[in-house]
Amino acid sequence: MFKNSILLFTCCLTILVSCTDDREISQAGNLVPKTVVEDLNLPSITINGAKLHAQAFGPADSTLVIVLHGGPGANFKYMLNCISLADKGYRVVFYDQIGSGLSQRFPRSYYLNFGEAAVEKVFYDELTGVINYYKKQPDQKVVLLTQSWGSMLGTGYAAKYPDKVDGLILAEPGGLKWPDIIAYINKSRSFNVWSEELNDATYQDQFITGKTDDHAILDYKLAILSASNTIVGDIQSTLGPNSIYYKSVRNGAVIASVMLEIGEKYQSDFSSGISQFQKNVIFFYSSNNTAYPDSWAQKISAIYPQKEVVKVNGVGHSGMFDQLETWRTITEPKVIKYLNSL
Amino acid sequence: MQYSKYILIASLCVYFINNGATQTLNWNKLENTRHILSANFGLDFGLTSKLTYGYKFNTYQTFILGASISKPAGKTSFDDFKASINGQIQSFSWRSFKGSTSFSAIYRKQETSLVTLQNFGAEIKGTCGYYRSKWFIAAELGFDKAIVTHFKHTDKYRDEFYLEVKDGWYQPATGGNFYYGSQAGYSIKNMDITLNVGKIINQDFITSPVLPFYFNLGFNFKI
Repeated sequence: MFKNSILLFTCCLTILVSCTDDREISQAGNLVPKTVVEDLNLPSITINGAKLHAQAFGPADSTLVIVLHGGPGANFKYMLNCISLADKGYRVVFYDQIGSGLSQRFPRSYYLNFGEAAVEKVFYDELTGVINYYKKQPDQKVVLLTQSWGSMLGTGYAAKYPDKVDGLILAEPGGLKWPDIIAYINKSRSFNVWSEELNDATYQDQFITGKTDDHAILDYKLAILSASNTIVGDIQSTLGPNSIYYKSVRNGAVIASVMLEIGEKYQSDFSSGISQFQKNVIFFYSSNNTAYPDSWAQKISAIYPQKEVVKVNGVGHSGMFDQLETWRTITEPKVIKYLNSL
Repeated sequence: MQYSKYILIASLCVYFINNGATQTLNWNKLENTRHILSANFGLDFGLTSKLTYGYKFNTYQTFILGASISKPAGKTSFDDFKASINGQIQSFSWRSFKGSTSFSAIYRKQETSLVTLQNFGAEIKGTCGYYRSKWFIAAELGFDKAIVTHFKHTDKYRDEFYLEVKDGWYQPATGGNFYYGSQAGYSIKNMDITLNVGKIINQDFITSPVLPFYFNLGFNFKI
């Protein structure tokens, strides 16, 4: 009987691990769109050896407005309403950061090998490369227009390279010092254990699993995972005609998780040196992000010496940019006034 | 009347955690048993509740054929669930040491605002432990394979993520998880209270699911 059980066990295991060729979840283009590496029709630039999905609008030699999206791992689509700045005479540059959006993917080990210097070597050097790529005149002004993770990145970059940045537009950086970052992450993801949202996030793991660098699978799972978050108050983006510039969206799961790991290990601090940044910054936050109350906005913005803090009512975490009407009536006028003041 | 009260209590307890599609049993306390009804509560890829029925055959080696259904918490009833048909057989017995093997055929479904997933899978599990008439403790090891999965995406996914997403059946297998842990139980008359705890790891033995562990509190009622 014992032998029969072993035989049954072996047969079952063979059935379980055997498979036939068919449509694969690991193949980009099936469940998630292809990146710039697989789809050569996508607009791209190559910076420090990485192929980035990027687009620029407006006069090439006017003030550069470099858009830094959130995440890590998100994409610039939801920031596309900022294209209207091109009509006002600014050079607006959008790019998906490395491993994010439709930009090239790299294995987890690539980022980890940089150790404590990962943020600098991966993101700051990339941003320097993007600025150099689009900057046509030595005296051309550079402004960073940022949101969430992009604001953390922009802050760290401005602190490290104050001479390269003429202006900084921020929107709800979760935190700048690691304890604040983690506190914000925990608060913005504190789902009720009985909720559909938590269940949607955890239940999928028995249907789909991916290896460490199975980017297409992990990116798809991240999309399902991040489908809904009522805590931060975001609703579906309204981009109007701007949406044609970014048809298919994909988020980078590996870069998202590896940067959390690096942050945790090295206690990343994006605020170091920003108190010496004496140029004006504008700091937006929203009314509908329950993880970002007035007190949190005050706490996080306190470190910027010269600032204007603007509360945008009626929207959530990304709404000051991804809600077209809010952008037109509230955010853009403030941004243009700020740009004109530089 | 007394039985119906116990069954009611077991049914009302339907919000906890569990792992494995089969029942956790005291293999030393199955004599004179034909029907086994179990309610389980715990963490199994979410806050989950499960009901299982098992029928014990009078064979040389104890064999139990069963069926189960489980669902996670959430505001929408049965948009997500897992159903299985399973068989458990006692593999060996030496004094109070006993081992069992189980195999389950699984159908599971998950519905979100972006996609509806339907999956046919299978699970194999081995258990080995020390069983007395009043209590037992055992180690368990299992593998749950999502063999073939059907994806049907919503307009929301197409609008917000990827217009050209391809719906349909996906193979090779879309996922698989190993789980390992321990189980213990206490038996009183025709009832068992059982506990399973353990860890889940993806089939690559490196990555882990969002909930990398399981916990299962169970109640068996035997007739």
